Amino acid sequence: MESLEILNQVTRIFRDVLDNPGIVLAHETTADDVDDWDSLTHIQLVVAIEKHFKLRFAAAEISSWKNVGEMCEVIGKRV
Amino acid sequence: MFAKGDRYQQEYRVSDSVYQGFIRSFQDRNPLHTQADYAHEKGFRDVVMHGNILNGFLSHFVGECLPTREVILHTQQIQFTHPVYRNDNLRLVAEVEDYHESVRVAEFRYYFVNQLEQKVARGKLTLGCL
Repeated sequence: MESLEILNQVTRIFRDVLDNPGIVLAHETTADDVDDWDSLTHIQLVVAIEKHFKLRFAAAEISSWKNVGEMCEVIGKRV
Repeated sequence: MFAKGDRYQQEYRVSDSVYQGFIRSFQDRNPLHTQADYAHEKGFRDVVMHGNILNGFLSHFVGECLPTREVILHTQQIQFTHPVYRNDNLRLVAEVEDYHESVRVAEFRYYFVNQLEQKVARGKLTLGCL
């Protein structure tokens, strides 16, 4: 799957989980840039992403992500 | 802590004290819940119990009936499929549908059946492990 397609699908998941259709993600986006992306919603986002892409992350992997792009990069290697 | 397929059951009774306590706590005296004549007129055999009483039972199940109390409720979804009446005996059956080790989250699918084995509600819960 291409990087842009992964980003688009992740964006749709963010919009759904955070109930905000206006969210626009870029590879550089961090939690500081998105309203309501906090430690609790982060868990819900990870669960939704794992289900959507039918994959599992490692806990250490998740904590190492610095931005959305690093998350998408891991997804790209697994799908 | 949880694994896909883990299954739990818990019995509950919608006693008069649960019913009265719910009304006392939340002040919902809608006639469907409090006036038998009105409930009959609308096709029910008696006053219908508040659906959210079942959410109270779910709260008890999550907080007190799992192998660990170190959990937090993330999301909860419920569908009511049959009315519940005073003094109904309900059985809650919950099964772990998935477990996300990375974020220590368990997804449960559950349902309630009454003493006639009628499914009165069903839904999903997402719990985080603390």
